[in-house]
Amino acid sequence: MKLTAEETRVAVDTTRDILSGPNDSRGNLIPVLQQVQKKLGYVPPVAMQEVAAHFNIPAVDVYGVITFYNQFRLTPPGKNQIKICMGTACHMRGANIIQEAWERRLKIKVGETTEDREFSLERVACVGCCTMAPVVVNNEEVNGKITPTRVDGLLFSYELDKKNAAAEGGEDNGQ
Amino acid sequence: MGNQITFTVDGKIINAAEGEMLLWTALDNDIYIPHLCGERNEKERPASCRLCFVEVDGRPAPMPACTLPVSEGLVVKTRSERVDALVAAGFELLMSNHRLDCKNCPANGNCELQRIAKARKLRLKPKNLPVLDKGLPVDDSAPGILYDPNKCVLCGRCIRACRHSGNGVLGFTRRGFERIVATFGDLPLGDSGCQGCGDCAEACPIGALAKKA
Amino acid sequence: MASNNQAAAVYATLKEEAEQNRGKLFEKPLILIGAATCGRAAGALKLVEEINNELSRLQLEANVVEVGCMGHCYAEPIMVIYNEGFPPIAYGNVNEGVGARIVRDYLTDGDPGYEFALVALEPNDFFPTYSDFPRGIHENKIVLDQCGFIDPQNIEHYIATGGYSALVKVLEADPGEIIKTVKASGLRGRGGAGFPTGLKWETCSNAGGTPKYLICNADEGDPGAFMDRTILESTPHSLLEGMIIAGRAVGSEKGYIYIRAEYPLAVERVNQAVQQAHEKGLLGENILGTGFSFNIEIFQGSGAFVCGEETALIASMEGRAGIPTHKPPFPADAGLWGKPTVINNVKSFSYVPHIINNGADWFKSIGTEKNPGTAIFALAGKIENTGLVEVPMSTTLNELIFEVGSGIAGGKQFKAVQIGGPSGGCLPESALETPIDFDSLTEAGAMMGSGGMVVLDEDDCMVEIARYFLDFTQKESCGKCTFCRLGTKHMLDILERITKGHGKPEDIELLMEMAARVKEGSLCNLGKTAPNPVLSTIKHFRDEYEAHINEGRCPSLMCKDLIAYYILPDKCERSCDACLGSCPVEAIFSNEDRIKVIDQEKCVKCDSCKVACPPQYEAIVKLSPPSEVAAREQGEGVK
Ligand SMILES: Cc1cc2nc3c(=O)[nH]c(=O)nc-3n(C[C@H](O)[C@H](O)[C@H](O)COP(=O)(O)O)c2cc1C
Ligand code: SF4
Ligand code: SF4
Ligand code: FES
Repeated sequence: MKLTAEETRVAVDTTRDILSGPNDSRGNLIPVLQQVQKKLGYVPPVAMQEVAAHFNIPAVDVYGVITFYNQFRLTPPGKNQIKICMGTACHMRGANIIQEAWERRLKIKVGETTEDREFSLERVACVGCCTMAPVVVNNEEVNGKITPTRVDGLLFSYELDKKNAAAEGGEDNGQ
Repeated sequence: MGNQITFTVDGKIINAAEGEMLLWTALDNDIYIPHLCGERNEKERPASCRLCFVEVDGRPAPMPACTLPVSEGLVVKTRSERVDALVAAGFELLMSNHRLDCKNCPANGNCELQRIAKARKLRLKPKNLPVLDKGLPVDDSAPGILYDPNKCVLCGRCIRACRHSGNGVLGFTRRGFERIVATFGDLPLGDSGCQGCGDCAEACPIGALAKKA
Repeated sequence: MASNNQAAAVYATLKEEAEQNRGKLFEKPLILIGAATCGRAAGALKLVEEINNELSRLQLEANVVEVGCMGHCYAEPIMVIYNEGFPPIAYGNVNEGVGARIVRDYLTDGDPGYEFALVALEPNDFFPTYSDFPRGIHENKIVLDQCGFIDPQNIEHYIATGGYSALVKVLEADPGEIIKTVKASGLRGRGGAGFPTGLKWETCSNAGGTPKYLICNADEGDPGAFMDRTILESTPHSLLEGMIIAGRAVGSEKGYIYIRAEYPLAVERVNQAVQQAHEKGLLGENILGTGFSFNIEIFQGSGAFVCGEETALIASMEGRAGIPTHKPPFPADAGLWGKPTVINNVKSFSYVPHIINNGADWFKSIGTEKNPGTAIFALAGKIENTGLVEVPMSTTLNELIFEVGSGIAGGKQFKAVQIGGPSGGCLPESALETPIDFDSLTEAGAMMGSGGMVVLDEDDCMVEIARYFLDFTQKESCGKCTFCRLGTKHMLDILERITKGHGKPEDIELLMEMAARVKEGSLCNLGKTAPNPVLSTIKHFRDEYEAHINEGRCPSLMCKDLIAYYILPDKCERSCDACLGSCPVEAIFSNEDRIKVIDQEKCVKCDSCKVACPPQYEAIVKLSPPSEVAAREQGEGVK
């Protein structure tokens, strides 16, 4: 994936800004990368290079850390992040069926983002809401007792929200 | 290093400095123990290849020799039914993930895997296990070096070599079954800042990284 | 030292203030709402909002406090009301409507709404209390005692109920005495391995090298475990107090809490707690004027199960990939930055203040000689009462599942209990009399692990559960060492082919052989324990493996490739179209008799139709092997 010039600029500026705080003790490496990810939603190569230079370590070491941990993304997430809980309880109550329902509907596989960057699909480790299994976390909201029909319902409500937002945006000239 | 001490390996009495790792003292005394990841003068001891197992009197389970400091009176067996089975299993696992192509391999005849197979009378081709080929492209972008990640056994020697004398462009990336030696952003070696010193190829015990013919 | 008396005096003032302030809460009716992550998922925050609205609408005066988790997760959201003239009452499954109604009826008309009540929290003449239920009889809450009853966001609640008094005690004592007490108590680490905590502290204390570090392992990565999260969210100060005491004991001034990435609320609560403890002078420089300093920082994980392993955890704090290293050296000798480091689990630290306050003998009087104290479990899966429980060690699995947890949900048959997560095992009915403790569980082929317990019923396939856990460990393996990286991969491939119906007769032996080698050859305990779920299911449920391999049949009707959905023609109501509409891929059609039939070619086995078919018909069933469908269709004349 290629970043636009603007995306690159934002990434570099953001990373430099974050790096202006902590010193170059290697213990700060992961917290720094976490902040970059929090701000940008992902950690692009330019950010990794900035970070490597700050800590005075080979860039491949930062890349090694980023690719080791589940939490770090190399590409921007979708506007709506759908996370399917893969804890034991959810699994035993059909998390796979739910995953397939999302994949079928969004026409992407887990780990991917839709073409229009509206949705990305992920699996997450147990979110600790085992009693509500199967669970899906949509953005930050936990939705319990999901069925394929509820997947359709949730998607429908996104569409609706989007339409409403669009309608509201154009309200002054319309009606 | 500490005092000179005495211990036995396979019945042979050995003198060495206390605290030195068993693997090296055994090799010094012409007792071969298979090993891939351990390097004598490195501070880092990964103990990751799991081929150097030995049995030690009084210890319940086989232990890797590369991280076993020798001490007075230690009694070690480098061969036993248990050790042999364990090493054979580890070796078969490694070979199930190694693209076997000795005929065309630059390391043919000078390969640690071939040496282990010969010393322990093991088959190079896995007997019970299907081959899990990584299916990654071979990288021939650097001027003098060829890198076939499908052969790599993840010993890490090239990474350490590249840090000592090269530009530090190699590192471990990803994890689990996907763990591989790669460059920043998976760039081809030729674009990675590699200076072409070839020390990685020199360090590689098996020909995953090799000098171009 | 004179300053110690001064510490006691300062604490006395803190406590008095705290008691007064907390006491004020009870001057009006007090409403507690369980708002830990589990409660929130069930809508606790909406409930809080609704209750506040209702109170202001009715112009009623009451205090509403968000608390942590009481452990009764099956009944979330949970609300407790303290009202003059009645015992405090806990209500379960309180949705917004019910919540508003209870508040209205109770606070205006004096009707406590017993129909919604779970239990009363104090003995009384009207309503049963915990001790009237099997759960209450078995439970013995030490660490969880205050979870759900004090405000985790307000340090005064903790202090008012005696919190930090153990710290004051040890500030007066010789550090060696603390270690002696913890050793004498027999406390074993609750992070999984059960290593004696006192011994670990002693090693670190004797180790050369400064500074010394303390790390609390709150990585809790076992899928299906949430004990540590509950403690962090519900009573964070008990952990802080335990850590400060440990710091004092081993001579460390710096502690870290390593919290896993998936626990944002826990991070928030602990941060708040650290700040408040600082403000009260209980943490930071010169604690309570005694000259002893201790600071705590939070380090957030980045999503890697293996980072729960102590050497990997340290690597990750040092800015590297979480890859375990060979032990020795053990962290107590050379840990973070090569310095002596004590790493303990959240629960291990949380027991410490109680042990200091009540003495080693008290702790030893609970549980058994070799396994003193309590065991904390997260009950999940097909059990009636899911949630967190704390029972004395030596309680049997039977008591825990069938009495404390009220047995299997939905009238189904118990099949197995999975204990210890990915490093544990599945125990069958015949093992139910096993007492819960580190040694007995290991002997039975499971593991105490960190305390995840998933109950499985007749609908759960044991091959599939083994595959699930191996899939987990295989994905979470750091990939460093040969046996774990490749051995788990081969084992997973074999299990996958078995669950897909392509297993070979020799696969069981191959799995067992490989399991033995992976256990023996792996570097860290992730690899060494990864085969346990496979070994224990083969040992106890070999017949299920054989059915998959030899007959292509999944006896529990769970493995997707080995089942097919089938509509029973004589049960189908014909005029009902529920299933037809529910199918996402239009695989269901109506035949000429208007009986619904599934086109097996199109069916994606999503289970929607089976859920949609009204319960009075129950016309849709699963069959295994899938070839059964053709046979049945022919026999039953379906076209
Ligand atoms: C793969 C793996 C995961 C672990 N996860 C945890 C964990 O989440 N929490 C924990 O306290 N200990 C965990 N442990 C155990 C730790 O390595 C360590 O033994 C423990 O934190 C020591 O604390 P304790 O003595 O209080 O039990 C894990 C070990 C392994 C091998
Ligand atoms: S390329 Fe060679 S030296 Fe480098 S890790 Fe692989 S096998 Fe070892
Ligand atoms: S056993 Fe697994 S997790 Fe542990 S060091 Fe080896 S590969 Fe890594
Ligand atoms: S040389 Fe000992 S484990 Fe590799």
